[in-house]
Amino acid sequence: MLHDPAILAALLAAAESGINRALALAPTASSDFDALAGTVVALEITSLEITVYTAVTATRAVRLMSHFEGHVTTQVSGSLEDLFALIVSDDPAALLINSPIEVHGNTAPLIALQQLLTSLEINWQQPLADIFGDVLGHQMALHLSAGINWGREAATSLRRQLSEYLLEEGRLTPPETELEDFFEGVQSLKLQAERLDSRIARLARRISQRGAG
Amino acid sequence: MTQSTDIDQDNISSGEDSHRGDTTDFGFTEVPREDKARLVRGVFDSVASRYDLMNDLMSGGIHRLWKRFTIELSAVRAGQRVLDIAGGTGDLAARFSDLVGPEGQVILADINAAMLRVGRDRLIDRGKVGNIEVVQCDAQHLPFADDSIDCITIAFGLRNVTDKNRALRSMYRVLKPGGRLLVLEFSKPTNTLLEQVYDTYSFKILPRIGQLVAQDADSYRYLAESIRKHPDQDTLLGMMEDAEFADCQYHNMTGGIVAVHRGVKA
Repeated sequence: MLHDPAILAALLAAAESGINRALALAPTASSDFDALAGTVVALEITSLEITVYTAVTATRAVRLMSHFEGHVTTQVSGSLEDLFALIVSDDPAALLINSPIEVHGNTAPLIALQQLLTSLEINWQQPLADIFGDVLGHQMALHLSAGINWGREAATSLRRQLSEYLLEEGRLTPPETELEDFFEGVQSLKLQAERLDSRIARLARRISQRGAG
Repeated sequence: MTQSTDIDQDNISSGEDSHRGDTTDFGFTEVPREDKARLVRGVFDSVASRYDLMNDLMSGGIHRLWKRFTIELSAVRAGQRVLDIAGGTGDLAARFSDLVGPEGQVILADINAAMLRVGRDRLIDRGKVGNIEVVQCDAQHLPFADDSIDCITIAFGLRNVTDKNRALRSMYRVLKPGGRLLVLEFSKPTNTLLEQVYDTYSFKILPRIGQLVAQDADSYRYLAESIRKHPDQDTLLGMMEDAEFADCQYHNMTGGIVAVHRGVKA
């Protein structure tokens, strides 16, 4: 169903509108966007077989497209879950290294764009004042900002405490360094197995050639 | 405005719309060829002030999404010259105006003066000025120099043209080599059930809505009929190839209710 251009266009139009509205309400992000003007990131969602192109325009806006023919700065391929994890990640550089996501091109603009979009400081005062008036809008914006900040801190604290519980108290997961060491070992074993496989194939080919000779 | 240097070649009539002699279709009615433009003008004069509403009624509001995808396919860049034929109220022209920037140019063209007035006023109201020109002209005889346009779009307009083949040849003539034509038009649904539902909506419900909203059931009936008389996807693809467009292809949208055709001038 997503392959119907109209349905994909609807999803992209909604997302684009939301992002650009958020950007318009985050004045501190505007100057950072100038450096990214002209950047085009292609997100290839392999599980859905669609590619979404994210272009940063010279007018400090984001354009989302399902079709693009110009120069792509960075191409990122992965499943929907992997790409979503990248979009919301606190440390996108580490995620790019440790996940099955494939990247072609320059990763610096991709990371800069991801960090810019996930750390927007939205000023709610203007839209709320437009609807409810200056006095009430101002009060509501203060409470909303306080609520959002509390939510962010609570989420960070919960994540840290959960991590500590799983690691230290429950002993349910290994430490991160131990896990990375294990993955490195697995990767090394995989490479060795591949080398051995190609060596065996080479030897077999040589034996069959001698037999024929 | 630059005048065409090669309009005479368009006066050589041939092709799909010409074989029926001196009549052509106006919805389900056969009318003298010379009358079609006047009759179509009458329809659009009637609906011009409520054109957006009409589009919303006919498409359920998703004509904006179809146009959005058409703009993506156009791959228009800054500094290019874009011609939007049958530009209506300027939806595509407004978007192209942003894409081509101050160095580029967008020409909003329509045969109907009432539509152009509505389009021009809307563009000005939206602050789209400086790189947009408004031209009243016939798609069959485009008043532009050969090889002078980077991209041509015609959205929901080709079916109202008297001689579609002649219009396609005229578009080919004014396009630069490598330039592309995009035809967005109602087409033939790919699913039989969807086609039946769409037919019922178009012929039973739409004229009644037209009567209620615009007190003009006949115009809305014509619009539904003209969609059925318009060539299907493959026929239009063949017509574009006959007009010498290369790399022709089409994308069905919303189950084939609408298709966007793309061709490139070799």
